Amino acid sequence: MSSKVVNEQEFRIFIDKLASAYEVLAPVKKRGEHVFQRIFDAGEVDLEYVTTILPPKKYLLPPSDGLIKLRQDGEFEEVEPEAPVRVLFGTHSCDLHALMILDRVFIDHFKLPQYVKRRRNLLTVALTCLNPASTCFCASMGTGPSPDQGYDLLITKISAGYLLEVGSEKGEELIRFAPGRQGGKEDSEEKSKLIGKAVNLFKRKIDDVARLPELFERNLEHEVWKKLGEIDLACGQCVMSCPTCYCFDVIDQLSLNGSESIRVKEWDACFTLEFSEVALGGNFRRDRAARVRQFIGHNLGWGGGVQYPELGGRTKCVGCGRCIRVCPVHIDLTEVVKMLRGE
Amino acid sequence: MSSPFRPEPARLIDVKSENADTKTYTLKYEKVEKFREGFEPGRFVMISIPGFGEAPFSLSGIVGESAFETTVRKVGNLTRRMDAMKAGEVLGVRGPYGRGWPMREAEYKDVLIVAGGIGIAPLKPVIECIERRRERYGRVEVLYGAKTPDNMIFTDEFDRWRRIMDFELKLTVDSVPDMMAWKHNVGVVPLLLKDVKVQPENTVVMTCGPEIMMHFVVQSLLARGFDQESIYVSLERRMKCGVAQCGHCMIGMKYVCRDGPVFPYSELKGLPDLVV
Repeated sequence: MSSKVVNEQEFRIFIDKLASAYEVLAPVKKRGEHVFQRIFDAGEVDLEYVTTILPPKKYLLPPSDGLIKLRQDGEFEEVEPEAPVRVLFGTHSCDLHALMILDRVFIDHFKLPQYVKRRRNLLTVALTCLNPASTCFCASMGTGPSPDQGYDLLITKISAGYLLEVGSEKGEELIRFAPGRQGGKEDSEEKSKLIGKAVNLFKRKIDDVARLPELFERNLEHEVWKKLGEIDLACGQCVMSCPTCYCFDVIDQLSLNGSESIRVKEWDACFTLEFSEVALGGNFRRDRAARVRQFIGHNLGWGGGVQYPELGGRTKCVGCGRCIRVCPVHIDLTEVVKMLRGE
Repeated sequence: MSSPFRPEPARLIDVKSENADTKTYTLKYEKVEKFREGFEPGRFVMISIPGFGEAPFSLSGIVGESAFETTVRKVGNLTRRMDAMKAGEVLGVRGPYGRGWPMREAEYKDVLIVAGGIGIAPLKPVIECIERRRERYGRVEVLYGAKTPDNMIFTDEFDRWRRIMDFELKLTVDSVPDMMAWKHNVGVVPLLLKDVKVQPENTVVMTCGPEIMMHFVVQSLLARGFDQESIYVSLERRMKCGVAQCGHCMIGMKYVCRDGPVFPYSELKGLPDLVV
């Protein structure tokens, strides 16, 4: 696969050219935090970011997404999803791995046309993360700080500017927009060294990820769940900001004149009481302790590779640290694992 | 690519009242002449009424090659709307989904069926399947309980069931209202287990009802030497998608909609958020 090295000015030209050819979604700084949004100019992009508030899932699984149109005459029509060709620019390795996990759920097992069409039209320009934040722990999860697959193009900031490496045929098309010289052996060696340095900067980690499913299976009744249940607010911010939390609700939205309704899927959170409610108010996760256990258990214990063998043991959690950053009561997945292990 | 969420129109061809709040609906596909997927006992369908939503319902009967029954108690918006519907009206159906009862594994064995309340609904097609292929199954015992005699459903099937060879139906209720005649048992369902004649070595157990009932049924049977692999339970969870994506029915690594709703008890051991 080919590679190029561009200097700062060439890099901006590259982004401008991409933005004129595609709908480019990139990290933009907004009131101190970063968000992915459409950009039209290289000047809007800020690659010096920790994580975005919401992960890229918002483009593939929008918060509210029409599935079926139900007419009063009994006809059910599929809602054609909007699926423009888009470039996800500057996405970190954790978020890229999250997309690969969502692919298992919404492509490999049951095809959700909305997801499949948008994902096919999404090009990914990943970014090697050289300055992880204190909440990050992707290195220990095997999902970062630099991806070795799953991207169309990979950017790494090096001394000469930026190293661009192609990871797919689509990436070959993208790199044509970049000026600059051919990448060489010394550039990729510098990249490896930088990644080696970045790996040592992580403050948080989860050890022995392969044995997490077993740890959770053994500790379903551990006192930590009760303790967390007592402080947890069931606000669900962790779920909303999680790049792999994909659970959803299905509701019918009736038009004003009642002639038709649209069945939509909406983001939902296992932290709400209603999530697990059955007929006549029965509920199998009435206690908050059980709901905290479901969220953390799904992320580290029984989601990901346990439910989808082709993930090769990778957990649903990709170590992006968003849930730690947003939790108002400081629930920290890496600390929970230590408590379960009695450390 | 077609959406897994698109229902097929199905016409209500019969509505039969079972008790004060429960009816059996017979639905026939409008455009499908032959089921495209296996309508088998224990599986479930997602039924839609535009504007009222969609919910999972187990099959309570399979009629020919394009019609099925479902027995529904009115407890929410959708089911109240269903209750007001008459034969001729059209609903949306998708599915069936999930893993049903072990009809193959139960062949040439005795069958013990334990049902509580509306939990008998997904077990009715099991009894009908055995009735049709009587030579393939051994002795059949059905234990069925409800709150009161008036809460029982399928009561006009009982006489026909009782005529099935080597078949026994035992009934119980939690309580009998004053002045009501009741010649069967009074007490919770697990109490009926003490007199069953089938033996652990050669019996497949199928149970559906409140989880707390199934808990005592399973514990009692395990204590009597039945093994975990031959006790099958059907779980109720609120599926929103039916295709293992929405997460509402997730119990540990299992999706009840895909891996169940019928599980051998051996597969449920060690899972969180279960009463059974």
